[in-house]
Amino acid sequence: MARMKFLCDIERCIACNGCVVACKEGHQLPTGIYRRRVIIINEGRPGEHSISIACMHCSDAPCIAVCPTGALYQREDGIVLVSKDVCIGCGYCFMACPFGAPQFPRGNAFGARGAMDKCTFCAGGPAPTFSEKERRLYGQNRIAEGKVPLCAGMCSTKALLAGDGAVIADIFRARVAKRGSGVAWGWSRAYKD
Amino acid sequence: MKKLAFSLLLIIVPAAVLAAGLLRIPATVSTTEIFRTFNPVITDAWAREGREFITKVNSFKNYYGILLAGLPLVFLVHYVVFGPKKFPESGEKVFYYGAFLRLVHWGAALTMSLLVLSGLAVVFAKFLGGGALVLKLRAVHVGAAFSFVPFGVLLFLLLLKDMLPAPYDLKWFLVLGGYLWRRQRPVPAGKFNAGQKLWFWLGTVGGIVMFYTGYTLYQFKAPVSVLRQYLVIHLSLGLAVFGLFLIHLYMSLLAVKGALRSMISGYKDREEVAYMHPKYYEKLKP
Amino acid sequence: MTNSMNDIRHSKCIFMIGSNAAEAHPVAMQHILYAKEVNGAPLIVVDPRFTKLAAKATEYVRIRPGTDTAFLMGLINYIIQNDWHDKEFIRTRVAGFEEMRKVAAHYTPEVVEDITGVPKEQLARVAKLLATNRPGTVIWCMGITQHHIGSSNTRACCILQLVLGNMGVSGGGTNIFRGHDNVQGATDVCVLSHSLPAYYGLKEGSWKHWCKVWGVDYEWIKSRFHSKEYMHKKGFTLARWYEGVIQEDKITQYTPIRAVVFWGCASNSQSQYHKLKKALDKLDLVVIIDPFPTTTAAMCEKDNVYLLPSTSQYETEGSVTSSSRQAQWRYKVVDPIYEAKTDYEIMYEFVKRFGFADKFYKNIKQIPEDVTREIARGALTIGLCGWLPERIKKHTDNWHTFDIDTLQAKGGPCDGEYYGLPWPCWTETHPGTPILYDISKPVAKGGLPFRARFGTEYTYPDGRKENLLAAPGVANPGSEIKGGYPEFPGWKTDPNVIKEALRRGMAPFGNARARCYCWNFPDPVPIHREPLHSPRADLIKKYPTYPDKPDHYRVYTRFASEQKPELVKEYPLVLITGRMVEHMGGGAETRSNKYLAELAPEMYAEINVKVANDYGLREGDYVWIESPEGGRIKVKVKVTDRVDERTIFLPFHFGGFFMGRSYAANYPEGHQPYALGEPANIVTNYGYDIITQIQATKEGLCRLKKA
Repeated sequence: MARMKFLCDIERCIACNGCVVACKEGHQLPTGIYRRRVIIINEGRPGEHSISIACMHCSDAPCIAVCPTGALYQREDGIVLVSKDVCIGCGYCFMACPFGAPQFPRGNAFGARGAMDKCTFCAGGPAPTFSEKERRLYGQNRIAEGKVPLCAGMCSTKALLAGDGAVIADIFRARVAKRGSGVAWGWSRAYKD
Repeated sequence: MKKLAFSLLLIIVPAAVLAAGLLRIPATVSTTEIFRTFNPVITDAWAREGREFITKVNSFKNYYGILLAGLPLVFLVHYVVFGPKKFPESGEKVFYYGAFLRLVHWGAALTMSLLVLSGLAVVFAKFLGGGALVLKLRAVHVGAAFSFVPFGVLLFLLLLKDMLPAPYDLKWFLVLGGYLWRRQRPVPAGKFNAGQKLWFWLGTVGGIVMFYTGYTLYQFKAPVSVLRQYLVIHLSLGLAVFGLFLIHLYMSLLAVKGALRSMISGYKDREEVAYMHPKYYEKLKP
Repeated sequence: MTNSMNDIRHSKCIFMIGSNAAEAHPVAMQHILYAKEVNGAPLIVVDPRFTKLAAKATEYVRIRPGTDTAFLMGLINYIIQNDWHDKEFIRTRVAGFEEMRKVAAHYTPEVVEDITGVPKEQLARVAKLLATNRPGTVIWCMGITQHHIGSSNTRACCILQLVLGNMGVSGGGTNIFRGHDNVQGATDVCVLSHSLPAYYGLKEGSWKHWCKVWGVDYEWIKSRFHSKEYMHKKGFTLARWYEGVIQEDKITQYTPIRAVVFWGCASNSQSQYHKLKKALDKLDLVVIIDPFPTTTAAMCEKDNVYLLPSTSQYETEGSVTSSSRQAQWRYKVVDPIYEAKTDYEIMYEFVKRFGFADKFYKNIKQIPEDVTREIARGALTIGLCGWLPERIKKHTDNWHTFDIDTLQAKGGPCDGEYYGLPWPCWTETHPGTPILYDISKPVAKGGLPFRARFGTEYTYPDGRKENLLAAPGVANPGSEIKGGYPEFPGWKTDPNVIKEALRRGMAPFGNARARCYCWNFPDPVPIHREPLHSPRADLIKKYPTYPDKPDHYRVYTRFASEQKPELVKEYPLVLITGRMVEHMGGGAETRSNKYLAELAPEMYAEINVKVANDYGLREGDYVWIESPEGGRIKVKVKVTDRVDERTIFLPFHFGGFFMGRSYAANYPEGHQPYALGEPANIVTNYGYDIITQIQATKEGLCRLKKA
């Protein structure tokens, strides 16, 4: 079975935030909720690089390991999802996650955290597929429609890849190989100036 | 031990394989290197403490379970084997707890009970099915914490003098408070025995720590590394509180006859004071 | 663009100057990064600011704002000195090379280093990269054009490509990224004051041509003007129209301006905004036609504003022209909501009420298809003759049949044609011209020589005579004349002449040489001139600006009288502006989007760490930025290494504040954008290009005061 993965090609990412806005607009997220973020290092200096980060849909996900409610679960294809009907907003998953993926909407009484929200790989949630409840709680279900996640689909430089881990790894491997041969490696390079 | 294979590895591995081989790019930084520079920024302290944190948090559920199931069992055995502490009725009453103290005590008791119960609901959320019920109980936990504060503070002020540690407290611990004695003998204790003192200090000073860590976890306004530490502290202290809460409950309701009554009326029987709090009893003598 | 976005994939070297494509043109970046990765093309970025694009560069060149011509001429000189120039290309297809070379000789690496601040070793390295990696593309944007010598800058870029022989080849060319999806279309139909549509100018013949196309009587049109003189006189420009109202500089028009219409135009992207606001408050009538109430609406304090809600692009349809001269049909997605009307409807209602609908709608029954047909009938100069609505729609509908590299359709209904029929698309069967001035293809198949626009021979001031037509043997395959030839008489007004030319395998506009020496320009060869407000007082004497120009698009424009060497003492910091990826233009649309506003909620000034420390500023502090013209804005400090120790950078998308005061209450209720801020253009300096009068926002001085 294919396992769904994201991969952000840092040589391609230009920190345009297109993925972030696509995600927010596509799922009509409240402001303050970042299912996806762009992180820039060395801003304004040589060595500036950016990467787009969301839930990585880990193979053995720490969030699932610590969740006291069993709200988090992993689908056959590796997509990690949360049931907002079961989640109690305790935040353990946020503390367990290496990537800061879980998000918590505010706005309940006394600013209590509501149910956790995170990247669904555009695969909706445990509510019936294409139901109004699914759309409201989890956003679009593009995977069920046979489409790639919105962020990767919108990426202007094709930096963000999403899909079967084996396939996107192949794409990336081919890219790295090309860069190597073109930019710096090879006999012509090694023995020229 | 489960092997955690994260997506980051998926990113690094193909690049690393290539970079390690012939395709090392001279004069430019390799993709793998750049990914590595992101690691500390994105995963923060996770690489150091993440796995340990997950193991710890998961183990707490077991500890709480052991206490929840084990302590009542221990109490049952104790009750059957040793029976409750009974004291001959001398008829002479000693005024032991002032009205205000009793009021404060019951306030603290109520809020503490809510705290323990709602806290357990979070720990055993899966058992309760999670969702709206536990979400509400989490709110109760927060509300009870705030309500506990005034009672905790008053309790601290009212009892501080009598709760200061004394040399004989150590002896009390060594004889386990005399609860494993088959016949009545005076135990080394002042107005409050060492067990009560422990419960007091845990409830007040420990309460402050619980409140601070709990509030930070509730607000979520600290670096994730700090949150992780706070959660472990909160769960550890919570475990201790939960244990002592159960013991306190057993002692007052079952193990020591008349204990509950004294906290209602304020009076203890002279005999009970003589056996259970002899150092205080001595002072009472004219 | 002479080539296309996709054609950048064939470049062996990418030279980007005054462009921050990573923020302004993120979608174009896929082709640039593709060339960088697959061809191993060096990506050279020349910019005063270490932009997000510079982060992707293999060679970043930090240049002092306003010294691009000096740097480019320095490169040209270094290339020629090292004998790296394309001698055959220059011999056959370039004119005025000798004259240009003499001027360029002044710009030695040492001189360039002094003017631009670019180390001479780096200049040499960049020149070598350009010379050893051919074909290379040169890309520029507003960073090149928005200077008082903007036209010289652009020409220096073109000359660089001529010297390298990079013109008319795949992977080469001069590629200017336009600001949004239809700027090229807007330029082609010329929403400007100096020309009729399709670059016909304002001559009598031009008027007569368009009158014929419209089916309007020339005499009637003439009668509509104040006098015939004004038919041929260039109008006010976007950059300076407000002077027609406030008249602080002398105007040459019989009346001041009394009404203004903003049709999808953001006033806060114009410099000297505090003066523009003065004009807004003085006008009798301000009409704003936009899907959003723009900053302009909020700024007007007089009750003279009419807001006409127009539809967004999704609620209307028509053809749009991309940066690469390609047309696409934009279909309607939804019907207009609320009381919004399409631009076509609004225009028609106006024309009807003005009482000449019968005259202008003779050929237009079906909107917008008939509009497109009329443009195709009239715009012969740029060969829009083949742009029929049916063809454009066919391309858009079948876009998947086109190749991403060559833009050519492989099979399918558009077989052999280039996507979007990049103009010139000479006839109804022409496939479009994907690369301009490419003589490797027949003209009928998308090839072209250089245009013969300036006669056949020229005598330079030193007496040298040069044939301006291409050298013998240089022509498109199948050309009847194997060498240079002049333009076909009447090709600009008669489509049959064009067809005749194509039949003979020739370009209607002739086959000539590209000029390095433009005798009709103030500087025939581009030379460096210090910005009007220069931080280098010592260089002003050596590289002074032009004399004042009294009737420059109907307004007196100061050059020499504005250039004061002592200004820098009071205003020690250099001010530049630019774009953010989150916002667009004046930001009326993007600042009203909650997600974009969340990502970029506040106006800020990028300030170097050293400047911040010198002024005692910290990240998040507020600071007043003051311009020599009396504009001042209060903005947040962003301490960064992006700018150097002399430069302040401001994004120009914000509006809704004015010199420290919020105008949020002036928006119609419920229509305030989520993000408000000071318009950067309040402090951008005086200064306009000598030819185009584009505002010089990428050079100027300012001072800081802690707020």
